[in-house]
Amino acid sequence: MQIIENLKIKEKLYIEKLENGLTVMIIPKKGIQKKYVIWGTNYGSNDNKFVVPGEQEETEVPKGVAHFLEHKLFEQENGTNSLDVLTALGVEANAYTTNDHTAYLFECTENFEPALDELMDYVQHPYFTDENVEKEKGIIGQEIMMYDDYPEWKVYLNALEAMYHEHPVKLDITGTIETISHIDKEILYKCYNTFYNPSNMAMVLCGDFEPEQLLQEIKKRLIKKEASGNIKRIMPQEKEEIVKEKIEQKMDVSQPLFVIGIKDKLVEPQERVKKHIAIEILLNMIFGKSSKLYKELYNDGILFVTPSLDYEYSRGYAHILISGQSTDPEKVYDKFKKTVEEMKQSKIDLQEFNRIKKTIYGDYVKEYNSTADIARMFLADFFKGINSFDYLEEIMTINEQYVQQILKNIFVEQKMIISVIKK
Amino acid sequence: MQYKEKEIKKGIKLHLIKTDKFKTNLIAVFLTLPITRENVTKNSLLSAVLRRGSKNMPTSTQISQELEEMYGASFDNGIDKTGDNHVLKFYLESINDNFLPQKTENMLKTSCDKLLEIVFNPLIEDGKFKEEYVNQEKENVKRIIEGKPDNKARYAFDRCIELMYDNKPYGLYKYGYIEDLEKIDSKTLYDYYKELISKCKIDIFVSGSIDEETINIIEQNPNIQKLQERQPEYIISTIEEKEKVQENEVKEEMDVTQGKIVIGLDLQLNNEEQKFHAIVYNSILGGSASSKMFQEVREKASLAYTAGSNYVRYKNNIFIKCGIEIKNYEKAIEIIRKQLEDMKNGIFSDEDIENAKKGIIATIKSIDDEQDTEITYFFGQQLSENKVTLDQYIEKIQNVTREDIIKIANSLTINTIYFLKNIETAKEDK
Repeated sequence: MQIIENLKIKEKLYIEKLENGLTVMIIPKKGIQKKYVIWGTNYGSNDNKFVVPGEQEETEVPKGVAHFLEHKLFEQENGTNSLDVLTALGVEANAYTTNDHTAYLFECTENFEPALDELMDYVQHPYFTDENVEKEKGIIGQEIMMYDDYPEWKVYLNALEAMYHEHPVKLDITGTIETISHIDKEILYKCYNTFYNPSNMAMVLCGDFEPEQLLQEIKKRLIKKEASGNIKRIMPQEKEEIVKEKIEQKMDVSQPLFVIGIKDKLVEPQERVKKHIAIEILLNMIFGKSSKLYKELYNDGILFVTPSLDYEYSRGYAHILISGQSTDPEKVYDKFKKTVEEMKQSKIDLQEFNRIKKTIYGDYVKEYNSTADIARMFLADFFKGINSFDYLEEIMTINEQYVQQILKNIFVEQKMIISVIKK
Repeated sequence: MQYKEKEIKKGIKLHLIKTDKFKTNLIAVFLTLPITRENVTKNSLLSAVLRRGSKNMPTSTQISQELEEMYGASFDNGIDKTGDNHVLKFYLESINDNFLPQKTENMLKTSCDKLLEIVFNPLIEDGKFKEEYVNQEKENVKRIIEGKPDNKARYAFDRCIELMYDNKPYGLYKYGYIEDLEKIDSKTLYDYYKELISKCKIDIFVSGSIDEETINIIEQNPNIQKLQERQPEYIISTIEEKEKVQENEVKEEMDVTQGKIVIGLDLQLNNEEQKFHAIVYNSILGGSASSKMFQEVREKASLAYTAGSNYVRYKNNIFIKCGIEIKNYEKAIEIIRKQLEDMKNGIFSDEDIENAKKGIIATIKSIDDEQDTEITYFFGQQLSENKVTLDQYIEKIQNVTREDIIKIANSLTINTIYFLKNIETAKEDK
């Protein structure tokens, strides 16, 4: 296996791409009880339109298939449910679906081998019937309704709605009760066969492991499958412009919720980490705990906790999100825009810049405390074309000129939106 | 991992957790006192005011800047209700010196000093807290209290507890009450702080790469030195006699899409050992994906996405929770009752018991994989009558028998069924 070492945090990544195309990544952690295994496919809620390798025609499926598939994969032909089997082993098992990937995981202190058997067995053996697909619609229906009661989720989706004309990132990962009603077993099998090919998948394992030995254990459990060709994903052409600057919804909340968004574009893989760091630095300088803007809004009773600051991106989209709760979201938005303009006019304050850099470095180091965080991070970054260690290296070299340039190019008023939920 | 505790002064304990598993050191200070209607709001406000500034770091901006310089050391604080106690918690997490790009001053010492400064050396002006901070934080606490219904699932749970513990300490809302907030000013709050700090139980935790020197860092800290000995009053959780109550069914309406059921159960235990039996019982009933709740309500009846239960050992209650479509209420309750009956009649397999134990033991074994979980565990020991090590804990779980579990099942009674549903307007007939 190829070994990549990071000397700053004293961790090693063992990585290998197998013949069938599966990428295996192992991060050994001596002395930790918990072993964490996550197996993911580069397939999320955004991948609704694609060309199956070997076919000519485009396939389009209802929204929510990736998530539906995630639910259904646990069901086995012999009538067992793999979630039960894993739980019975004393293992904590779960799965999740994001915009760009789906992942199956477990963490354990004992019974690692039988748990790995089960995980690798069920992910490689789908079993969908008309009956079990119908039954799941009730459960997922309740999941969708549960999210309907979360104003945080609604204000986020509305922000995407305001930014994107066509891109499926703006749709709910679960789909809607209407879209999932069209899902049947044929659709599930088609998507499974397309996206659950080993060449479209990666597995990350973190815990007290011998990497080479573990790799053999994984290979033994793989069923024979040829690497498939490239899956062509058809993402709609997304305009650079936003849809509308303001979006508002009424819900029963004690204080208004807001999300300020800035629409951006995805850059080439080699620039992604650097750009992401620069944006994190800028967001913290503008709106972090020690920022002037936050202090001002706090003292005026407009904000009471620092907003959360995020940069999200994947195939065909990228955006900045600033989310929080405020008595006066409009004011937050105005002052934010003003602060950005003032920053553009002046030079970056070096002392502040270096302090924020230190903070972000510390945040990256903290990610390496838990096997779960490490494994999930490496998987998510891998599907974005990134090695997670790069963040620790790139942050050392980033300078204020680059950050200034990102500020000018990305923090543009015409690309900003605000989504608000209030009573 | 090595754990050591030392009483620095009467009523003030230092807990040292030596571990090399982490990139960070975590320091925590917990102030514990009985929760009362009189104090709950003051504690809540106090917690908010203390983070605004200390004598040597008078503004929150300055606190943040100094922490940022320490490679983003993170300060966090909050309040918890643990049994009949109110606990004010303060944390500071910083990077272990081994993982810094450059060698700096002793990060652990700086971190301890900063945290103790925030808790024990607040900013005082003219014999009171800074007016401006107190007034702003009163507004903020008010907002938190008003925001209680925002999270519907959490709200339903809190409401069920309030109904079960009406006019009792455990029924109090941990953030306090708006009408009490208005009566507090910066002088009364500071007087209260002085009283609290001289009387409450104080626990200081240091987790990470520590050595003998760490004890000195804490003991010689001037803010610790000025603290007095005390005979703290706090509530150790015991087996209390549960009052017999009529099963209470309460339905409330709010703007929700999904209905939330919370069922509060009373457990009448005879001895401390039975708490371990209750842990296994709860796991079979609703503690995991193979539990009865998850299997019957979610997987078989397809009624819910969330369906489970949790056991509150400080109060000996089990709370069953699930989110359902409102029209399925009766059906869900019927299924849940059936599960409770089945448990009483021993309708669960030996495999169910084994699986439950495995899951619980895995959780115990991984307690020391997370710094804050480990601190919470050792703190829990402080509030328990019988102290157990992690190994003893595992052994006790292993020894639980089928009879023990059935006994728990038969000692259970439903206290309250709470249902949060939508606001019924004129119904459409379809």
